[in-house]
Amino acid sequence: MLEDYMNKGIKDVISEFPEVADILEQYNIGCVPCTVGTCLLKDIVEIHNLPEEDEQALMAGIAAVIEPGRQATLPPVKTKRQTKPGTIRYSPPLRKLVEEHILIKRLVGSIPWIVENLEIETEEGRRLVLRTTEFIRFYADKYHHAKEEEILFKYFDMDSDILKAMRQEHEQARSHVRAILDALERTDKDTIAEHLNAYCELLAEHIRKEDEILYPWMDRGLTVTQVGEMFSAFAEVEAKTDKNVIDDSRRFVIELEEKMLRLTKEVTK
Amino acid sequence: MSEFSGCPGSRMLDFRTHEKQEQTQTAEVKSQLRQWPIQLHLISPQAPYYQGADVLLAADCTAYALGNFHNDYLKGTSIAIACPKLDEGQDIYVEKIKSLLEDYKINTLTVLIMQVPCCMGLLNLAKQAAESSNRKVPIKSVVVSLQGEILSEDWV
Repeated sequence: MLEDYMNKGIKDVISEFPEVADILEQYNIGCVPCTVGTCLLKDIVEIHNLPEEDEQALMAGIAAVIEPGRQATLPPVKTKRQTKPGTIRYSPPLRKLVEEHILIKRLVGSIPWIVENLEIETEEGRRLVLRTTEFIRFYADKYHHAKEEEILFKYFDMDSDILKAMRQEHEQARSHVRAILDALERTDKDTIAEHLNAYCELLAEHIRKEDEILYPWMDRGLTVTQVGEMFSAFAEVEAKTDKNVIDDSRRFVIELEEKMLRLTKEVTK
Repeated sequence: MSEFSGCPGSRMLDFRTHEKQEQTQTAEVKSQLRQWPIQLHLISPQAPYYQGADVLLAADCTAYALGNFHNDYLKGTSIAIACPKLDEGQDIYVEKIKSLLEDYKINTLTVLIMQVPCCMGLLNLAKQAAESSNRKVPIKSVVVSLQGEILSEDWV
């Protein structure tokens, strides 16, 4: 029976056994707020790479909920390369993606301010919304997500539920941007705010999952040869990309942060 | 006798008491070496087996310390060996590594060194070559203990 649930999507497992959510939380496995929830329980346990004792304790806890009172046979813990506890050391190509996340997180961190000061009746206000979507479409999506979807993910099983969930989140992000642009056409301020907030919430969690869980798991599975190939493939994408557009994206975030700081200072004076 | 105060790389240690009785290798271990020469002064970066390869830059002593050197590290790679403590003409080493990175477009460089401080010099040579090269490749550093355990394995 436990074996059957190990092969079920996490959302289904939690809806049938809500206590499983609390057990996962105890081990900092934050699947509960995930909007997709199709990842299989067995993959979630593996991807988090807990110390062996913790993984056994986690599985025993889940088994006690799913099959109470029965001496459950725990599925064997997969052999995996142990990484040193502490800071995560990414391979060079994944480190590049994490560095790109930093700029995206800075933009995401500015979104609550953009929403609070949303002003679409003026040219300047509309321009800010447009430039925000341009950043998302070009830098976060075309440049960054494309590296993931066209290169990185192809080294793994594209049909796995974990990768499907990550690609689904990319799609959700794209649909928020489309909704923002449509609403801007209609001068529908509330809808713009709603989708900016939703994008902000989605991306913050998406990046956290990639930095802390997905990328370290991927790094454990990549061979040295694959790391080298991926690094070269990323370099090719970077060489083909217009450097001015990358610089513009970076400049936009910096100028936005400076503007936020300046205006916040003026308000608090 | 006073505590040893010289170079840790030359310190005498006797591991005989640690010999593992249980491991008696009976099957022949096939060599994974696929090229000659291997010494960094003797190799030519233009050799076809370096083109686009995963290159292993190994400190001389590592092959003796690691029990499974051939299968775990040499297999599938093109190799160059050197001793950063005793070898002369190390500026030539930097130029050769740079040429491997830049002209012969190797895929990755794994630097396999011993835990003794002088061995870090080999990693520094690789870093120096990478810094002066226009083309970047992933460099991995693997540190081996005197008794053949992997102490660390990190991307530089």
